[in-house]
Amino acid sequence: MNVLIVEDEPGLAKEIASFLKSENFLCDLAYTGNEASEKIAVNLYDFVLLDLGLPDYNGLDLIKEAHKAGSEASFIIITARGAVEDKVKGLDLGADDYLAKPFALVELLSRINAVARRKFNIKSQDVKLGDFVMDIQSRMLTFNGDPVDLTKKEFDLLLYLVLNRDKVLTRQQLYEHIWGNILDDQYDSNFIDVHIKNLRRKLNSHAPSPWLETVRGVGYKVTAE
Amino acid sequence: MIRLKTKLALFNLLSKLAFTALFLLFLPMIIERINLRQVDNDLVQKREKTIGLISQYGIEPFINPDSSVSFGSYNILKEEFISLEKTDFPGELNEIDISSRILEDEEISYRVLNYTLFVDGQKYLLEIGRSLTSIQQAKRNISRILFIFIGLIILITFITDLQYTRLILVPLEKITKKLSEISSPSKFDKTPVKTNTIDFASLDNALRSLMDRIGEAFRKEKEITVDISHELLTPVSVLRSKLENILLSHHIDQEVAGKVEESLKTLHRLQSLVNSLLMIARIESHQYLREDTFSVKMLIEEIIEELKPLAEDKEVALTGHFQQDLIFSDANRPLIFSMFYNIVSNAVKNTPSGGEINIKCVPAEKCFSVVISDTGKGMDDEQLAHLFSRFKSRKGHDENGAGIGLAIAKSIADFHKIKIQVKSTPGSGTEFSFDFPRNS
Repeated sequence: MNVLIVEDEPGLAKEIASFLKSENFLCDLAYTGNEASEKIAVNLYDFVLLDLGLPDYNGLDLIKEAHKAGSEASFIIITARGAVEDKVKGLDLGADDYLAKPFALVELLSRINAVARRKFNIKSQDVKLGDFVMDIQSRMLTFNGDPVDLTKKEFDLLLYLVLNRDKVLTRQQLYEHIWGNILDDQYDSNFIDVHIKNLRRKLNSHAPSPWLETVRGVGYKVTAE
Repeated sequence: MIRLKTKLALFNLLSKLAFTALFLLFLPMIIERINLRQVDNDLVQKREKTIGLISQYGIEPFINPDSSVSFGSYNILKEEFISLEKTDFPGELNEIDISSRILEDEEISYRVLNYTLFVDGQKYLLEIGRSLTSIQQAKRNISRILFIFIGLIILITFITDLQYTRLILVPLEKITKKLSEISSPSKFDKTPVKTNTIDFASLDNALRSLMDRIGEAFRKEKEITVDISHELLTPVSVLRSKLENILLSHHIDQEVAGKVEESLKTLHRLQSLVNSLLMIARIESHQYLREDTFSVKMLIEEIIEELKPLAEDKEVALTGHFQQDLIFSDANRPLIFSMFYNIVSNAVKNTPSGGEINIKCVPAEKCFSVVISDTGKGMDDEQLAHLFSRFKSRKGHDENGAGIGLAIAKSIADFHKIKIQVKSTPGSGTEFSFDFPRNS
């Protein structure tokens, strides 16, 4: 998929690009609004990651322009301005999602994937985890056909790890994804550990779950078969 | 405290009463003066008439010049009399005074004019008198009528004064109402209050321009927070992405990964500190909307469900008791959620295993209280004093560094006019109570 990264901070733009490339996206960069405007007019993008705080352009105008020109790119706003109205305005103008800086790269990826699934109407496949099967569509985890009773938070946690298979996710990334930014101050690494512990206990009452790994000193990871 | 209109009407009433009392005090004297002058004029006229008659007809029709019998005449009700007699009084007399006369064994007070005149070389004394009884009668009558009349006037003017002051103070009431109704300067109704009183118009103007200035200050503050947040969060963002990319590369050894994760944690502390400060700035400059209406009970149940796994893991009992619910309106639900979440998660962190955390909703007379009590470490007075300040670290209380969460809770509470009270005993626990204003 083609992604245009519109971000005036080159350091950040390059990191996002290098991450998305490793996830098999084709990336293009624009450091100014004018540059972005030209690139959107000429090329076809599936996604535009748009920083609203551009020096020469009101980022929101780019969305209007692109829609007028008939571009089918999905816009994901990434901004550090953090004003509530920006979010509302952006989504009103047809942006597909909104992410406040600083964000986790895996979170950006999962947002892009979520938009892509909606956009291209992709049905998620069932995921096999050892003897367990995760049905993403109906949010069910089964063991030999029997449902495993998970709380909503436990399921979300497992799902996020599954969607980011083979990547180590830090407790902070997991926390941010599931609890959003209730209030950053409450971030407590212990919180995730407790939920993983409960999750493991429930899984292990059916069968061992070696695919849910603890990566010492870093976080957790689900390994695919 | 008295209302302005009552004050004005009372002052009017009192000043009227005072003036009337003064007037009524001097009224009898004035009436008497006026009456006496009237009588005196009459008497002088009668004297002239008598002198006219004497000069026309001579003295004989009245009195015999050779005899010593004097002339006297009075009407049947003895209201007036006239007498003429010879006199040897050396000087001349022309005066009016009050004296008593005995007529047919009845003593009556008269206003008497004494006048000496010469007719054919003989000196006569003319006396014309008028009874004072009628004057006193008139005085009493006039006083009574005036008294009733003035009393009525005072009553009527008091009522009209009251109505009128109420009417002219309507704009003031409108301005007060407008002010008490708004939650932020931007919500201030800028249409001028209808009035033809210059003072109210200028008060209204002053208030409107004050609101404009405050609104402008808020707008600037908003701009500043947006700028600061951009300036501070952009570098954090760059660093975070770089570190995350390092962590994601496959050929990184365990030790390096651990260090990168530690750096990310530190960076996260910086990020949450900046976000917390920005949040307080945004709350204080009213950048959050207050448009939600929700059940406080349900919100607390949500928080309990959210934090239960953590409490259970620590073997701390987390329970809720709801005597009553409050439907809280004109509020920002995510902020209120943060406020309680913060306090309860703090309680979970600070309560040793085997302890209890209890959340109660208690109805009180004028407010609705949510009381969160724990059996944790508690705090001494010094810790309590700095509990809500932003950076005063509370010793041994918070290993997680920034104890700014409570400062945020406080500003959220202030934003919603919720009163927080804290009671704590070191070693036995802490109790937070949140008094909600009853707005519905």
